[in-house]
Amino acid sequence: MSTAELEHAKTSAGLPPHPERATMEGRNKVLGFWLFLGAETVLFACLFGTYLALKGSTLDGPTTQELYKIPMVAAATIILLTSSLTSVLGVLGLHQNNYKKLMFWFGVTVLLGAAFLGLEIYEFVEYVHEGHTFTSSAFGSAFYTLVGTHGAHVLFGITWITALMIQARRRGINLDTAPKFFVASLYWHFVDVVWVFIFTVVYLMGKVG
Amino acid sequence: MATIVTIIVFILFLGAILTGGYNKELMARFRSHWLWDWITTVDHKKIGILYALGGGFFFIFGGIEALLMRMQLFYPNNDFIVGRTFNELLSMHGTTMIFFVAMPLLFALMNVAVPLQIGARDVAFPFLNALGFWLFFAGGLLMNLSWLFGNAPDAGWTNYVPIAANEYSAGTGIDYYVLGLQISGIGTLIGGINFLVTIINMRAPGMSFLRMPLFTWTSFVASALILFGFPPLTAGLFLIMFERLFGANFFDVAAGGNPIIWQHLFWIFGHPEVYIVILPAFGVMSEVISTFSKKRLFGYTSMVFATILIGFLGFMVWAHHMFTVGMGPVANSIFAIATMAIAVPTGIKVFNWLFTMWGGKIRFTTAMLYAVGFIPTFVMGGVTGVMLASPPADYQYHDSYFVVAHFHYVLIGGTVFGVLAGLYYWWPKMFGYTLNEKIGKWNFWLFFIGFHMTFFIQHFIGLFGMPRRVFTYQPEDGLTLINQISTYGAFLMAVASILLVVNIVYSYRHRVPAGNDPWDGRTLEWTISSPAPFYNFAQLPRVRALDAFWHEKMNGRKEMEPAEPLGPIHMPNDTHLPFVMTLGFFVSGLGFVFRSNEVGVLGLIIVILTMFVRSFEKDHGYHVETDEIEKTEKGANA
Amino acid sequence: MEAKVQQNQTQIKKQSSESSLKHLISFGWMILLTAVAFAAVALNIVPQNLVIPLILALAVVQVFLQLFTFMHLDFKKHRLTVMFMFTGIGIGVICAVALWILV
Repeated sequence: MSTAELEHAKTSAGLPPHPERATMEGRNKVLGFWLFLGAETVLFACLFGTYLALKGSTLDGPTTQELYKIPMVAAATIILLTSSLTSVLGVLGLHQNNYKKLMFWFGVTVLLGAAFLGLEIYEFVEYVHEGHTFTSSAFGSAFYTLVGTHGAHVLFGITWITALMIQARRRGINLDTAPKFFVASLYWHFVDVVWVFIFTVVYLMGKVG
Repeated sequence: MATIVTIIVFILFLGAILTGGYNKELMARFRSHWLWDWITTVDHKKIGILYALGGGFFFIFGGIEALLMRMQLFYPNNDFIVGRTFNELLSMHGTTMIFFVAMPLLFALMNVAVPLQIGARDVAFPFLNALGFWLFFAGGLLMNLSWLFGNAPDAGWTNYVPIAANEYSAGTGIDYYVLGLQISGIGTLIGGINFLVTIINMRAPGMSFLRMPLFTWTSFVASALILFGFPPLTAGLFLIMFERLFGANFFDVAAGGNPIIWQHLFWIFGHPEVYIVILPAFGVMSEVISTFSKKRLFGYTSMVFATILIGFLGFMVWAHHMFTVGMGPVANSIFAIATMAIAVPTGIKVFNWLFTMWGGKIRFTTAMLYAVGFIPTFVMGGVTGVMLASPPADYQYHDSYFVVAHFHYVLIGGTVFGVLAGLYYWWPKMFGYTLNEKIGKWNFWLFFIGFHMTFFIQHFIGLFGMPRRVFTYQPEDGLTLINQISTYGAFLMAVASILLVVNIVYSYRHRVPAGNDPWDGRTLEWTISSPAPFYNFAQLPRVRALDAFWHEKMNGRKEMEPAEPLGPIHMPNDTHLPFVMTLGFFVSGLGFVFRSNEVGVLGLIIVILTMFVRSFEKDHGYHVETDEIEKTEKGANA
Repeated sequence: MEAKVQQNQTQIKKQSSESSLKHLISFGWMILLTAVAFAAVALNIVPQNLVIPLILALAVVQVFLQLFTFMHLDFKKHRLTVMFMFTGIGIGVICAVALWILV
């Protein structure tokens, strides 16, 4: 057994079914993070509002109907949605005190997140070639700020989860690491929720016109 | 220049992280120094004092900026300070007073009192509490550095585009505003989340929500306002930063943008912001008035309800700052009605304070003087607010001194009086001795008279036609005498402020131990020693009713019944990481101000690295053993 | 000790293996909702003026699915969190709509 698995076997016998809520610190972290997500909701709402106000200001550039690559967006959506599922399966591993399950599913989540980012970068490069850049028009600035901020959140998420996985390899699942994984998965679901609105409001509404 | 500074800082940072301090003796001397203690503290009581010091420090800046403006306006066509410099003064005065004086002073009171009032040993996230303080201070420092480097922000505290965009404001001035506020804004958001979780999760056994003191309630609602009100500012500041630094086109009409977006984002933040600064002051009033009337607060439940309603409605009224922008009569009417509606719960609170005093045994301590002075002053500000809430009338008042008079009445009559009352009230809990009452009374009366002298007449300055944000007027305008009266009043306020400092020094020199409960208080903070022991409560108290301590007193008991046996107490460790992380943000902000993307990114890398160091730390705090607790308790009660 | 660990694990597995299915079902619904939204736009099967309200409604349903299944939010157990999230969503909607129609 690896160090982590040994550590983990030592503590797992005594770990309660919802380890992230078993300590005061854990409960505080979970509540604090939900509140932070509330604030982030308002932040993204402001960026959505700005986008909606400016999406018609394309100047000479391509319009939303001409520009958006819906099949690519559909693929990215499936990838991110699946990663949301895999992260909750990872949390299930957390609740079942199953170290291997936790590591596997969170690992898949990171890979899917990276795939999403890769696809999005490819998409942006395509748009830039078609004359749609950050500085080309108000629409361009609003689009890249909204979708780019979301992408930055994805990047932060995969870095965070990777770091947590490194921590878990050394220390296993215990009352300290459990809330961290739970909170990171809350973040990841939130990032997916924002994407649901992005593909709806930006891409689908953009296609309808 | 900035690059060299940053590289040096980065090398020092790496050195600190990698060497872990190779000179053990020097490190030991550093670590036991009192300055290190204050830099690394995570104790909410110390952080409260730091916030008070920070707020007091920036008050000197904001105050001098005000006096210089009033001096310029003493004579028509005065040439003391004109043009751009005057614009810098007015912008910095407003921004500094709201973000770097009012908010930190309120956070000081919240930090000192809220954990004690709910019977907790610290806030939910002590590390983040320290980080929040340092970020506020760094943001304020960054913005005020603009005075040194020649270009302070000069587009008003509201920083409207297009005047704040590159075309009309080239150079670094506005960038100081954007980055300084962004950094301190992160600190404020962190503080808000901290107090919300603390109040929700860490109340002593028996303290239900409806048994919480009013100051805790108002801090709770204000924190919720921070949580939801700051993100629009964050978004707006990012947009303006991207436009100024990276060529984005949100507000530039030629590129299809719209400057009104900034106004909306700013005021969706800006209006909740003023409720953020007034609600804790209302809370202080409730505590002070009930304590010094020796009577329970009248209508507790309606006070709680009114607080929540004010918080909620505060998000629905922002466009009353934009009546003249051209949104049209329908939008204007909706916001006008919502604005007038806020007067109702506020009025409920005022009447409840009056009814609390009625029939009470009133003691006019300095804190009570500020509370009683607050009532007519704030109400005056409130009624001029209702006047401004009518869009057709506002077309006349907008951008005149009438508005200036209104908001100074609510901000000073409300927030500042509240802060001063809170300071006098909780001073003994913070430092172990009370402030001198005689000097306090002089402080109050000079400040009160000076304030009304300065600002009452400004209503008329506005009604007689003087616009705001102008650096002079003409001799034939008939504004000279009233401007001069206003200036005299401002100097009287300055004298009063100096008296406060005199009081602090005098009271320290002649200090007498105040004991646990110098005011015969009603709430939990008065059950422990003054100053409080570092762990707050040796045993968490059992709360049986509203005004928990008063309830015990009325039932013949001198102390609270403990809710747990005496046992080892778990306390958080001090840490230098919040300071280091703030350094990273500061470097990043400086970098972006001086348009060096490399330095900006470097600072952010420092921030991210520090976050990872923190995440990997196995910091489980330390335990205070029972014998040490008993010794401390005995020492405190000796 | 080993036996107890095993017992614990099987017990917990029993409790949560049902919820593993629950999450897969939620996921299925999310895929369906997403597919319907994409189809509604791509295939022109819905009258023009109804498309946008429809896809917005589908998005809202999916969000609630995420909140209450994937994110383990519970109406009864987490009342305050639910209140704060709804308030945040409410204020967010007000901001977004205000910027959309007033600018």
